[in-house]
Amino acid sequence: MPFETALGWQKNFQKSLIEEPFSPQAVWFLEHFSCFTIGTGSDKKNLLFEENKSPIPVFCIKRGGEVTHHMPGQIVGYLVLNLCLHKKDLSWYLRELEQVLIDVLKLLGIEGKRVDGFTGVWCEDKKVGSIGIGCKRWVTQHGFSLNVECDLVGFEKIIPCGLDKVKIGKISDWIPGIKVCDVKPLLRESVKRRFKLNWENI
Amino acid sequence: MATHDIFMPALSSTMTEGKIVEWLKKPGDKVERGESVLVVESDKADMDVESFQDGFLASIVMPAGSSAPVGETIGLIVETVDEIAAVQANAPSPSPQSASQEKESSSSQVQEKQVSVDSPKATVIAKASPAPLVSESSVNQAQFLNDGRIVASPRAKKLASQMGVDLATVRGSGPHGRIQAEDVQSAKGQPISVPWIAESNAPAKIASDVPRIEKKSVDSGNPPAPGKSFGSRGETIPFNTLQHAVNRNMEESLNTPCFRVGYSILTDELDLFYKQVKPNGVTMTALLAKAVGLSLARHPQVNAAFSSEGIAYPSQINVAVAVAMEDGGLITPVLQNADKTSLSDLSLQWADLVKRARNKQLEPQEYSSGTFTLSNLGMFGVDRFDAILPPGTGAILAVGASLPKVVASKDGSISIKKQMQVNLTADHRVIYGADGALFLKDLTYLIENNPYSLSS
Repeated sequence: MPFETALGWQKNFQKSLIEEPFSPQAVWFLEHFSCFTIGTGSDKKNLLFEENKSPIPVFCIKRGGEVTHHMPGQIVGYLVLNLCLHKKDLSWYLRELEQVLIDVLKLLGIEGKRVDGFTGVWCEDKKVGSIGIGCKRWVTQHGFSLNVECDLVGFEKIIPCGLDKVKIGKISDWIPGIKVCDVKPLLRESVKRRFKLNWENI
Repeated sequence: MATHDIFMPALSSTMTEGKIVEWLKKPGDKVERGESVLVVESDKADMDVESFQDGFLASIVMPAGSSAPVGETIGLIVETVDEIAAVQANAPSPSPQSASQEKESSSSQVQEKQVSVDSPKATVIAKASPAPLVSESSVNQAQFLNDGRIVASPRAKKLASQMGVDLATVRGSGPHGRIQAEDVQSAKGQPISVPWIAESNAPAKIASDVPRIEKKSVDSGNPPAPGKSFGSRGETIPFNTLQHAVNRNMEESLNTPCFRVGYSILTDELDLFYKQVKPNGVTMTALLAKAVGLSLARHPQVNAAFSSEGIAYPSQINVAVAVAMEDGGLITPVLQNADKTSLSDLSLQWADLVKRARNKQLEPQEYSSGTFTLSNLGMFGVDRFDAILPPGTGAILAVGASLPKVVASKDGSISIKKQMQVNLTADHRVIYGADGALFLKDLTYLIENNPYSLSS
């Protein structure tokens, strides 16, 4: 899935939710071709290469947080939710997203945890889940990424999330052979439970 | 000239300050209501901040990259092109220095500033006489000099440059001598506009502001505003029409067998929620009216009234809020369907009702259709009182100040929490002790645990 396509979908749903608060909220679970994304307020220093000489596409998007990396084998979850219908509190929302990932990891028999003062989910000392969201009139876009069985080499070209010396991990470090399709259904259920959603396929 | 502040929004209940990621508009740009003006970041979340009115971005008070406490002015919007130049000429240009000055004032100080200066909260009347303030401050003006470090609120800075006041000569009455907008006004000799309808549920702050003013200068501290009187010594002044009406109602209430039941409500959660919705123009009166409205919906008995045929259950929940009139008497403008109306609509309606009440333009059904009454003396620091039941209704709630209290919790731990005492006066022919108690229990639960539900 090219990054731009997913971005366009989110924008459309966000726009209609802003105009009509009770229109459908939307959630996607995707994999992207290899790319880097940086948030509006991101520090370009965290890109360890010159932006215009990047080997893979770099997207500047409206979300919080620093640079991150997407690639096949990593599940990206995009949630366009109207927080007015949930809770108008962005910290609450970030913590709920973390809990979604922690719950999924628990089902897989892995202990996921938060690190005080940071956003994201860690297993042992490795960060496996990243979170970054954008919000307009309490309607969210973007969401999380969870490393399942991806090639992490791209992370060496950046300082992920602006955290120096952070170690990046993936679920297959603990469960060899796990596939994206094993994790997606769990994520689906976890998101549904946490935000009390009813799925309707579109 | 109408200048509208853009405030740092609260993106979460725990956020104390936010970082300005990017201004999407430049000074001079036209902005439409609902259009994104800037992006604020807190933690890993970005939020677009929108303009609440059509106009032009006149000035960026806090530049991109800087952080500001929640509720602080970060930009200014004006209504017409002509006003841009005036604001730009006067407003301090954004500089790293001004950003760092702002940072020094901790968010709690900023909160206090807001509370004591311009916090609209629950309702009644304070009429303060500005005269002594003006004369005393003018005397001080020339003598007082800051020690070189000027800490002032953005609004004070803006006013100072507009009015040509040198901030170095102004004595700050805010926390740690921070210069507030009124300090600038009084330094200039302008009467301080004390809101006639004082809306605040944090009266303790007002009271404690008085001793905080340094006493070493000529000024012996601003005494609390003198009580008002409609006549001079030795005179007897006839009642006006409104006072007559109040008298009749009060006498009639003596024929009603009333009882009182009270509750202490922790308000820390409500205060946090209020901080978040305040930038959207939501007032504490609206929050209390909505909380009461929702609780009444679950306790229809407390919304009922005595009639000769039996217990009358009104078709609507209309919350009347008592407002004292400047020239005597009292009026109770009504927020219709308080349970079903949104917080922002309640806030707008309330502002309109109060404005027209002042001008004596209210239609009878706008002040006589209440099914339940709220009376708040919290802004005077009153910790508890009881109210007289208005005829035709079943109950009235007297709301005291929200004050810090040492609170013991069920597990035996002790902490300091803000607590507000409320006292329900009810007609026992219609409402029984248990009805009132359950209503208060529910209201308390809502305010203490679930203030967010007020916005739904």
